[in-house]
Amino acid sequence: MRVKIRGWNGVASWLWVANDENCGICRMAFNGCCPDCKVPGDDCPLVWGQCSHCFHMHCILKWLNSQQVQQHCPMCRQEWKFRE
Amino acid sequence: MEPPPAGAELSAAWHALSTALVPPAALGLAASRSDSAGLLKDGDLRAALEVLRCYDLHSIVEEWFIEVLQTDLQANIAPEFWNCIGQYENTAEEPQCSLLLLDAFCLLKCRLDPYLNSLELLEKWTKAGLLLGTGAQMLQEKVYTMFKAILFFSTTKSFQEMIQQFYSRTFRIYMRQWKKGEDGMNECESSMSENEQESDTEESGGESPLCAGCSSKREECWCPKAMEQFQQLNDILRRLNLLERVSADAVTTILHRMIEERMEQRCRGEYERSFLNEFQEWIEKVIGWLSRVFLQDSPLARSTPEASNTLKRWRCHVQRFFYRIYASMRIEELFSIIRDFPESKPAVEDLKFCLERTNQRQQLLSSLKSALEMRLLHPGVNTSDIITLYISAIKALRELDPSMVILEVACEPIRKYLRTREDTVRQIVAGLTGDAEGSGDLANELSKADPVTLENGQESDDDISEPGDWVPDPVDADPGKSSSKRRSSDIISLLVSIYGSKDLFINEYRTLLADRLLHQFNYSAEREIRNVELLKLRFGEAQMHYCEVMLKDMADSRRINANIRDEEEKLPEEERPPFSLVAVILSSEFWPPLKEEKLELPEQVKEAMEAYSKKYEKLKAMRTLNWKYHLGLVSLDVELADRTLSLSVSPVHAAIILHFQTKSTWTLTELSEVLKVPVTSLKRKMTLWLQQGVLREEPQGTFTVIEEEQKDQVEKVVLIDSDEEGDSAMASQADQKEEELQLFWTYIQAMLTNLESLSLERIHSMLKMFVMTGPVVTEIDIQELQGFLQKKVRDQQLIYSGGVYRLPKNCS
Repeated sequence: MRVKIRGWNGVASWLWVANDENCGICRMAFNGCCPDCKVPGDDCPLVWGQCSHCFHMHCILKWLNSQQVQQHCPMCRQEWKFRE
Repeated sequence: MEPPPAGAELSAAWHALSTALVPPAALGLAASRSDSAGLLKDGDLRAALEVLRCYDLHSIVEEWFIEVLQTDLQANIAPEFWNCIGQYENTAEEPQCSLLLLDAFCLLKCRLDPYLNSLELLEKWTKAGLLLGTGAQMLQEKVYTMFKAILFFSTTKSFQEMIQQFYSRTFRIYMRQWKKGEDGMNECESSMSENEQESDTEESGGESPLCAGCSSKREECWCPKAMEQFQQLNDILRRLNLLERVSADAVTTILHRMIEERMEQRCRGEYERSFLNEFQEWIEKVIGWLSRVFLQDSPLARSTPEASNTLKRWRCHVQRFFYRIYASMRIEELFSIIRDFPESKPAVEDLKFCLERTNQRQQLLSSLKSALEMRLLHPGVNTSDIITLYISAIKALRELDPSMVILEVACEPIRKYLRTREDTVRQIVAGLTGDAEGSGDLANELSKADPVTLENGQESDDDISEPGDWVPDPVDADPGKSSSKRRSSDIISLLVSIYGSKDLFINEYRTLLADRLLHQFNYSAEREIRNVELLKLRFGEAQMHYCEVMLKDMADSRRINANIRDEEEKLPEEERPPFSLVAVILSSEFWPPLKEEKLELPEQVKEAMEAYSKKYEKLKAMRTLNWKYHLGLVSLDVELADRTLSLSVSPVHAAIILHFQTKSTWTLTELSEVLKVPVTSLKRKMTLWLQQGVLREEPQGTFTVIEEEQKDQVEKVVLIDSDEEGDSAMASQADQKEEELQLFWTYIQAMLTNLESLSLERIHSMLKMFVMTGPVVTEIDIQELQGFLQKKVRDQQLIYSGGVYRLPKNCS
């Protein structure tokens, strides 16, 4: 007997490769989106800092904009630099 | 001539007067002197009265007259009359019987006529001031009262029957004649006279040898005679002022019976046309008959105010009776009328008209409620049917009572009952999206323009545009609810509000949508998007957001798949994957929880999936895929030695058959090990392949490929679980609930560790105190808790004895 697969319709869910489940700023799931967004994924991406912490891009930008002097990671207080 | 002495003069005068006023028989005199009474003139009698006045005796004349009349009535007239009537008992034939009736009344009239004549005379004298009068009550009235009192104080049953028969006969004849007249006027009348012909079997055409009016042979028809008798009898009764007393009862009974009969024949079960006008016309004809009974035939008498008053009273009575009967009948049939709505709209409008004129709202409410409970709200009726009927009821009752109070009150049992059905929400949601058969109504309703948003905005009573249009609520309205809210309710809001919250509906909609998208693979993207847009108009943007993301996931997945396929096509032939893998990629946070099932796929499939994941990761930086191996749909060809099968199956089925490629015989346990699927559920999955004739089970628990079909073998019938294919990809409500309950388990364990044993009620109240007030608000009722604890007892995590729960010893 031989079985030939003509087509396989699979189901998968996508997820961010991150070391945490929730954004440290908005406490929402990474796989969801930040409070200002409606649609997760491409429209509400994650960004990583060199300290290896990650946040919703919109969240960290808001945080950085609110910082007067120096820009720190809200988790570890190191200077915030985007990881390339 | 010498004047006679005083005594003689008085005696002569009295004699003259008395013989003139009453028939001689009443005074015990011989009737031979009948000539003299007739000859006495008014002038002579006045002279005699003058004499009496001289002696101051004129005051007793009236009393004496009444006395004599009463005695005569009691002693002679009444027995004679009743004797006459009594002969009826021996008379079977109807014409003779009515003749007899008339005779009896003629006799009565004969006997009473002299008194009535004298009465007129006395009245005249009183008016002229010759007599004193009899106080407040007129002499005439006294006399008439006496007739009634003595003659008809109690009537025999046979007499009533006779009267009844007489009047109903003449009624028939009269209605017959009218109809003939009408038919003559225009032969091909509307449907109405056609129906008339249907209902009355004997038509004037002459197929029947009997006359329609008097139901005797045509050549012996006594209709005209009967009408003549009818006229005579009415005249007599009118003369004696006994008409109301004798005939009113019979006439009322006849009218009621006729109306009821006619209604039974015409209207019962017929909801598609209005009967009000038809009956109004008919009632006018009946009034014509009534006028024959109660009014003199002369046109002069007809115009008197008294006469028109009488007629007015009767018309009013007949109409009101008609409205009441008609409304009662429609109320009784309301369930069927609602079921047939909108075809039954005329009936609803008729009922509305009648209800405004009768006081039957309460009757309607209780009757409809009990009809609903009897015919609808029991386990034998499908939920979808209940919902369909509820929708009809909303439409019909909105027509019947624009204030929606009847709807609110009468349909409360339906709402209450629907709350107890598990699949109500699912049915309503299915109806909304046009999935369920026969519920296009809801889908139409949804796409209606200008929907009412279900947002509970500020609604007040004073937002009615025209103050002059304000109508008070009916008395049975619930004062707690504002009328504008009630009035604005449309079908969907009413249905959705059954549970009091729209979240439940949104969630159910989401689950159903997820099911369609993942499990059934047969959805039309356009329709789903349209539905979500329509629902957004009703439930608000925020509520439908999840569904929007779900649909967007589907579109994104298609794009990604196309992207990856393009990529693959650039590869050289040998590096291309062995089969095309297409994925639906979900944003897990926005989908309802998926059922978790373990399944280990064959190596080649897993490799393909990993390759796909790699490509995805390249496409979307920092993201990866988490495959749900057990979900999806696989189309494959099974090539056997003598045949090839093309099938679309679930991944589990595909995995099973793929394993049989390498080894043609597997035992259930071996398979279970490689697939990581529990034996019991695997066994169920095997049935598909047994049924397809690809595998056979021999011996029990061992499966082998059938390479060549053996025609001569007895066909094996394998039953598959019908519910299996319909399985939802979503975790069931029960599973979700159980997860919630799991939260309580730690608390319960802690409780029992500290307090050793507790009763069900104690556990419930403690949970209520400590857990349900916490940040995670999860409600649990005592039945659910009991079920949960019993499950734990079955799993041997708890011990239940003597009404208390305890932890098993080894557990602590």
